[in-house]
Amino acid sequence: MDFSQFNSAEQAHMTKVIEKKQMQDFMRMYSSVVERCFNSCCSDFTSKALSSKEEQCVMNCADKFLKHSERVGARFAELNADAMGSQPGKH
Amino acid sequence: MSFLGRGASTPAGGVNHERMEMAINEIEMITDVFNRIVSSCHNKCISPRYSEGDLNKGESVCIDRCVAKFFEVNKKVGEKLQSAGANAAPS
Repeated sequence: MDFSQFNSAEQAHMTKVIEKKQMQDFMRMYSSVVERCFNSCCSDFTSKALSSKEEQCVMNCADKFLKHSERVGARFAELNADAMGSQPGKH
Repeated sequence: MSFLGRGASTPAGGVNHERMEMAINEIEMITDVFNRIVSSCHNKCISPRYSEGDLNKGESVCIDRCVAKFFEVNKKVGEKLQSAGANAAPS
């Protein structure tokens, strides 16, 4: 996806739109990680406070998700670039 | 007024909404696919035990393969739908 076809007014607009989407995406990801880690790690409701086991689990869960997301992003970019490259007439 | 090959003409210094809409739609589609890949591959590759915060070798390899397969499936389904649409159109 290249921006060379857009003039500067359009590019400024696109940048704003992309920034807004990134913000929304980040918020969505945050909620999904919280839900995922809660569902996987917290099943003992004999106490209000997180046990140290649950806390460690949540830390690991969040860590793992971020690393996972990073790795998927890297592979995605590679494969996406390949896919785009094999369709020269598309843009 | 001159017409560029892409459809609506852009007033000089103005904003071509049609092209930007297309670019925004493309961004949304790619972001959606990415989020689905993150979610699906996390469900398939990462066990919910969370014994540590790093990805182990098995999980890393699984993620790489998962992303590649997802792209393949994406491509095949796209081709299938395209041919189904092409078959349905002449009738």
